Amino acid sequence: MNIAGMGVIGPRGRGIEAWERALEEGWVPPLDAAARGAPVGRCPVYAVPADAMADKGVLAKARRADRFTRMAVLAACDAWRDAGLEASIDKRRLGIVVATALGPHATTFAFLDGILDFGDAAVSPTAFSHSVHNAAASYIAMTLDVRGPTLTLTHFDFAFHHALLTARSWLDEGRCDAVLAGTVDELGATMEYVCGRLLRAAADGRIKPFAFAPAPEAVPGEGSVFFLLTKTPAGRSYACLAEVSQAAGLAADTGAVQVLDASGMANDERAYRGVLAPGAAVAGYAPLFGSLMTGSSFHAAAGALMLRRQKRYACPVQDNPHGIALCRVTEAAAVTEVFCTRVDCAGRAASIRLTGTEAGGRSDK
Amino acid sequence: MECLSITGIGVVSAAGLDIPETLRSFDAGQRNVSRTDPDLTPLDYPVFRVSGDLRNPSRSPSRTVQLALHAVDEALEGAGLGPRLSGLRVGVCMGTTVASQLNDLAFYRAYRETGAAPMDPVQRFLKGNLADAVAREAGAVGPCVTVVNACSSSADAIGVAAGWLRAGLCDVAIAGGSDELNRIPICGFGSLSVFSREPCRPYDRDRQGLNLGEGAAVLVFERRADAERRGRAAGVGVAGYGAACDAHHLTAPRPDGSGLEAALCAALGEAGIGPEKVVFVNAHGTATRDNDKVEGGVLARVLGTEIPVLSTKGFTGHTLGAAGALEAAFTALALREGWIPASPGFVNRDDEIPIGAVRERRTVAGRYAVSTSLAFGGNNAALVLGRSA
Repeated sequence: MNIAGMGVIGPRGRGIEAWERALEEGWVPPLDAAARGAPVGRCPVYAVPADAMADKGVLAKARRADRFTRMAVLAACDAWRDAGLEASIDKRRLGIVVATALGPHATTFAFLDGILDFGDAAVSPTAFSHSVHNAAASYIAMTLDVRGPTLTLTHFDFAFHHALLTARSWLDEGRCDAVLAGTVDELGATMEYVCGRLLRAAADGRIKPFAFAPAPEAVPGEGSVFFLLTKTPAGRSYACLAEVSQAAGLAADTGAVQVLDASGMANDERAYRGVLAPGAAVAGYAPLFGSLMTGSSFHAAAGALMLRRQKRYACPVQDNPHGIALCRVTEAAAVTEVFCTRVDCAGRAASIRLTGTEAGGRSDK
Repeated sequence: MECLSITGIGVVSAAGLDIPETLRSFDAGQRNVSRTDPDLTPLDYPVFRVSGDLRNPSRSPSRTVQLALHAVDEALEGAGLGPRLSGLRVGVCMGTTVASQLNDLAFYRAYRETGAAPMDPVQRFLKGNLADAVAREAGAVGPCVTVVNACSSSADAIGVAAGWLRAGLCDVAIAGGSDELNRIPICGFGSLSVFSREPCRPYDRDRQGLNLGEGAAVLVFERRADAERRGRAAGVGVAGYGAACDAHHLTAPRPDGSGLEAALCAALGEAGIGPEKVVFVNAHGTATRDNDKVEGGVLARVLGTEIPVLSTKGFTGHTLGAAGALEAAFTALALREGWIPASPGFVNRDDEIPIGAVRERRTVAGRYAVSTSLAFGGNNAALVLGRSA
């Protein structure tokens, strides 16, 4: 599959330029509780800044939508416009696949507020309809007038991978000519509390992707990343999404970069040490967007930029107790392929392989 | 495209705990309507609750997962695949609404009132991703994801799993959906004023709205050659799937029905058949004014005004994320058995809808039937089920 366009909204702002700037500039401290007016004792987080979501034009049809949906609409619309294929793709042949781990939970809790405050018979129908997981996909469709198939998927580890498999399936079956596939997850106040209870907060605010710790440290994050995918090269052609595999053991070429999804969200990250691709330079950019169950999409966007720019981005946090071959500096490099590897708590792995050309081949397993 | 062989079906709903009990209810026109549980909500509406004991409910604390596993057991037994699936690449794709949300009211009340709450409900939620829970319990190794497309979730889950099989990502697919009766959708649909105060009457002139229900359905399906190699030459199969979005409104269907029409035409196209081959439709038929009017118009336009239509929601209520799979399963069973029941609650034809529902049990002799699903968010899905010649 060809990545024809991308849209990114995260803690470092909105747009490809903002994401690339974050990759270039490296780590910045997260927001602590005092800085964002959260209760004392809350862990630091990476939140999407309000000004990144101020776009009355794009959000005109989503003006009643919640933050979760707004992030998704902005990222999806940016990916669509980035590709510049408006004139050549029939909206009846354009599909949408949204992947999320936790859905619009802040709106779900707002709906529960209604039950607790006003009783079962006096809740808000608006809150209810927006608490449904596929509200974001619906608003993307309404904003862009997409008439093709629309799907929302959820999984706590591999939602994005299944979104890509679905997009490929739709393109191969001829169901669609292009698919907007991406992820969205938000960090509401209640979820911050949950993260604070279940995760080990990084006291120094730094996620350490290469610690491979039995109890890794986390900084909860949020954001949305979308890709406009086509079967053959079109649009901006960032990279070829060559393979989505339910295995980690992918052979790497010289010039390969392996990006690890380790972000402190799993309660044990030691399994990452066993999935390192021999010969690949290793990276991990979770310290730029935070601990996120759907963080694989941010890494795929970083991989696409590496292939497009022929550049390796320095790891933002380089604590390296196991002495692996990290990308230490941002530099021009002949990047031939990028693996984004994720391992869940049970040790199950999945990889997304990006190459620079269609010649990279494919073999979904 | 290749018709994928359905080798196992599992159903559980207010109509019955398994296939034989369900068919008996259908044959007798028996509607097992009860009322909302006052311990669950003070709102009083008719609902369709599953009564009787589920198989091994101790496998999960979540009723939605329990319902799903109950249906999985029946489907795997029917498929001759036993309780475990070692050595096979098995994809699991399940649809739900309730099980996807962290919506535990006691947890949230405690958090709101004290700033602290026990983590048990969160841990249960994190272990309760429906597809993951099914895969874990069945020992399935392969693609695994939960579809959360509101009321078309499980119809779409079947469509997604069909794509996996055709792409060679798995050799067996377990696909379906499950949802329990839960306070959140009862309050939510109540706030939208779409509930009927009496048992629902899909497609009837005097219909007043929907009733919620609970249930689960699971299809086990395989590529035909694989099924035949296992000695499971199935009589029915998944022949086509189509989906399209309205891009119109978060909760209301597009008045011209063009999204559903596109989904239906895509499903027929994938099955490689014309509309004249379809012998009946198990419609989404929620019994709301808008749904039945829009859907009926599309069915008449595409399949003709004489097409026999029923809505099994009159037997099950609207089971949300389970609805598409339950209705696809009932459609497959009707093709296999050669008859459809009378559409419960339908008495008088609505002049605003160019088709009516069937009033009596009738024999069906053709090879293909359709199940349609419409959902919040403007999702439309259609499945074509086929019977071997």
